[in-house]
Amino acid sequence: MLEAFIASLDQSPLALMLRGSLWVYPAVNTGHIIGISLLFGSLVPLDLKLIGMWPKVPLAPLLRVLSATAALGVGLALVSGFLLFITRASAYMDSTIFLVKMFIVAAALVNGLILRVVFSCRNLPEWVIDGVAPPAVRLAAWFSLFSWSIALILGRLIGYVH
Amino acid sequence: MFTKTVTYTMLSAMYLLILLLLPSTLAAHHGWGWATSEEFEITGEIVDIRLGNPHGEVDLLVENDVWVVEVGQPWRNSRAGLTENLVKGRIITIHGHRSANKDVRLVKAERVVIDGKDYNLYPNRES
Repeated sequence: MLEAFIASLDQSPLALMLRGSLWVYPAVNTGHIIGISLLFGSLVPLDLKLIGMWPKVPLAPLLRVLSATAALGVGLALVSGFLLFITRASAYMDSTIFLVKMFIVAAALVNGLILRVVFSCRNLPEWVIDGVAPPAVRLAAWFSLFSWSIALILGRLIGYVH
Repeated sequence: MFTKTVTYTMLSAMYLLILLLLPSTLAAHHGWGWATSEEFEITGEIVDIRLGNPHGEVDLLVENDVWVVEVGQPWRNSRAGLTENLVKGRIITIHGHRSANKDVRLVKAERVVIDGKDYNLYPNRES
């Protein structure tokens, strides 16, 4: 069932176009990197702030700007990542590194969504007292930093490991 | 004060772990790190061609063994004028670097020679 679906992705007109393209594939590749840069570049300062760095800097404006740019980065990375995947869907499904990366990305996304829900429902900036966030939020920020870093490294390794 | 110390310690530990993880698994595909630095040459008959992104492969029959040759991605093959000259049944010579793992018959091509004509995938590399 899954194998048949993956094989049909491999043979889809979009996959054939991407595999044979001179410049579309490199463009999609670049789009993936731009998405990741935007995501990582947004979440590192935000997570560090939540962990307790820059206690005198107010959280609210950082949160407003950086969560928007992080979401934009995630969107770009997901769309371009899907296109990169279907170019060689079966091959990537055989790659342990790819599968582990996808698992970690899923966990990181869920973690981010939980943080997001906490922010919007509970108005987190009011929770932060003297620059210190509640332990659960600090833990989520650590998990975010760690999981996205590992996802990034595993992603880079896919192309270098048989 | 305490929070700051803990934070810096955790961050340093995390990136140290990441750096340790990195070199342990590098093996193949992109780059040249997985191949030997020695120049390698092999001639055989094309038995299968799988071109496309992120990189193409050609199977060569050499005596009784099939060797996998990694050629370029579409733009590189096209720039070298190689794409339309890879035809099943043709005898071609590959100049490049073989995998450092001697158990696999895998070569990354720098230059392909067909009927005495050069198709140079990496004009800036010696081959």
